[in-house]
Amino acid sequence: MRISRGLRLAVALGLFATAAACGGGGEAGGSGDKVELTLLSHYSDGPSKEGLDKMIQQWNKENPKVQVKAQVVKFDDLLTTMTVRQTGGRGADIVSAYGLWGGQLMKANVVAKVPDDIATKIKAEYSPAALGAVTTGDTLLGYPTELNTYVLFYNKKILAAAGISKPPTTWAELADAAKKTVKRDAKGNIQVEGLSLIQDGDNKSVHPFLSLLDAAGGKFLGPDGTAQFDNAEGKAALKFEADLAAAKATNPSIMPTKQFRSGGVAMAIQAGWWIGSLKTQMKDKYASDVGVTAIPGPTAGSKGSLAYGFFMGVNQRSKHADEAWKFLTWMNEHKAADGQVTETGKWLADQGLIPPRTADQAAYKKTLSDPNLAPIYDAATYAMAEPNQPGAYEAKTALHNAIMGVLADGKNPEDALAQAAKAVKPQ
Amino acid sequence: MTTAVGRVGAVSAPARRLGKLQREGRAAYLFLAPALLFFCVFLILPFVFAIVLAFSDWGGFDLGTLKWAGTANFGDVLSFDGTFVKPILVNTLLFAFGSVFLATFGSVLVAYCIDRLAFQGFWRVLYFLPVVATVVAIGNVWKMMYQPAGLINGVLNKLGVNSIGFLSDASYALPSVTVVQAWASIGGAVLILTAGLKAIPEMYYEAAEVDGANSWHMFWSITLPLLRPALLFVLITQFIGGLQSFALIIVMTGDGGPVNATNVAAFEMYQRAFKYGAWGTASAMAMVLFVIILAITLLQLWVARRRGEETS
Repeated sequence: MRISRGLRLAVALGLFATAAACGGGGEAGGSGDKVELTLLSHYSDGPSKEGLDKMIQQWNKENPKVQVKAQVVKFDDLLTTMTVRQTGGRGADIVSAYGLWGGQLMKANVVAKVPDDIATKIKAEYSPAALGAVTTGDTLLGYPTELNTYVLFYNKKILAAAGISKPPTTWAELADAAKKTVKRDAKGNIQVEGLSLIQDGDNKSVHPFLSLLDAAGGKFLGPDGTAQFDNAEGKAALKFEADLAAAKATNPSIMPTKQFRSGGVAMAIQAGWWIGSLKTQMKDKYASDVGVTAIPGPTAGSKGSLAYGFFMGVNQRSKHADEAWKFLTWMNEHKAADGQVTETGKWLADQGLIPPRTADQAAYKKTLSDPNLAPIYDAATYAMAEPNQPGAYEAKTALHNAIMGVLADGKNPEDALAQAAKAVKPQ
Repeated sequence: MTTAVGRVGAVSAPARRLGKLQREGRAAYLFLAPALLFFCVFLILPFVFAIVLAFSDWGGFDLGTLKWAGTANFGDVLSFDGTFVKPILVNTLLFAFGSVFLATFGSVLVAYCIDRLAFQGFWRVLYFLPVVATVVAIGNVWKMMYQPAGLINGVLNKLGVNSIGFLSDASYALPSVTVVQAWASIGGAVLILTAGLKAIPEMYYEAAEVDGANSWHMFWSITLPLLRPALLFVLITQFIGGLQSFALIIVMTGDGGPVNATNVAAFEMYQRAFKYGAWGTASAMAMVLFVIILAITLLQLWVARRRGEETS
């Protein structure tokens, strides 16, 4: 009888311990009247972290009852951290997310609906490219933060050495410049890549392709999530890339982010944020060697780009949604010391990013100190916004595999696109 | 009355024994309880949940959004139009078979040689080092060696061979990663096989020597047959490890590329669940992989039993 009682006690203690271990504790909340909001982002180092921390410190000083605590991870870990924490009931009150993930986060009830009054203001005050990148269907996911557009970076000296006096303005000129600038050693190893079409990071091969697709007048996905790239424009854009690969003017094993700065890449289709990195890495050589221009299309005058964005939204499970929206509104609207632009706009522009707020963009555009920034800002007016409905991430992976099949494996562009289109499943 | 008491006494002895056994049983369960609880919470419940998810459409966070999907996920996963059956499952099997074949062949060779060398402890430690090192370190070192300007291509260039895109060329990428997986798992197998070699009585070799057998005959007719129990263990554990492996692939290729050439089932599951929020499809893939691992393991055990090996 004593053992039986002991057994019951042990089982009860075991269950209690398990419940305690698995239950965790909600981090949002606070003691008494004080509320602590958590903000999960990938702004983990350098000016991005310093700028965000500065704004949070100012808010915390002015709002002692609503304290914000930043939680940061590297970009590569952001989605998985968000996923795991949300599943375990420990999601942050405010989440900063890549626009591409927006649809699936909305479908899974992670991000809360933006209150109507805030949504109306955002729609009126932000650029179409920024809004497009953080809107799924008709649903706005949060405040647009980062906005990046794609442009053509080129090494002025390498182009000049190949006898090319001005950056290419059509696909024919682009291909010609790529073939003229590529250099290989006696063993066939590439010393200088003509045109880089592969990036490292999440964008892989898709962002350069979509920029070319946009320049040709094509689209990635339709509003219902169906594949739109398997048409004449898509085939032309991929054939353009395939021809460069066949001519060995582009090579998937070259990392432009590592080799451009040392003269290992003549041209690269890359996002605007790269300016900041290149300035740091190349120092004095940046001004003399680096040029930026619009990504040309098949005919003279045509150009294209892709715009992708990030947003800050409120977690649907947050117990302090009102306070979270108040903080986000303050963060995105309060002016910097000069009174000309918002503090968030300044924070983004200082990192070489385009501020998504139209007024900030216009203010910065008037006084651009670096001529290379002008094509990047211009692209925000015509770039294709990256689609982000549920399933868009998988569609992007299918397209990446198709492009790699062509560039690395010599597959036929038409077959590759047809297979990718088949793998796109609207949700 | 006395008789009655005697009968009662006669009955109560087994009853006391039964009571004692029950108490001992309860005590046993008490001691087992933490392990059973752990087993239930971390193995049985997730397994049951994974089965439910395999038949559902779920975005991963809110159980309220879980929808019954029937067998649609399995249809999607096993469709020949998709990428899971080909190339992902094919890659998984090639990766597992290739790495197990290379690791087993290599480890038998290494263990056999070590068994005949001086300073055996030193050699065993040397071969065991990759097992102690993290997958990230191993993957990154080999990744650097495979680079166009890396050590291996440098040697090939010296020999007059053009650089090979070990990780960027779709036809070389999977074999390149498979070799690393095999290399990294040789150490563990060597340890087990060395123990197996030590268990073979020396008198068999002495008798064979008297009969004029050479080294090859001794290896083929004595060592290999008597090493079978250890080999069976190595084969089964390495197969399961190979079929579930994906960390090395993430480190070396990042996304299972190029063109899905190194994408394997466990990596695709991780991608579907944690990147795309498609938990139903990921769970269906997990079930398919579970059935494959079970079938291969049972097949190995069946083959071993037919050869008369003790497998329990």
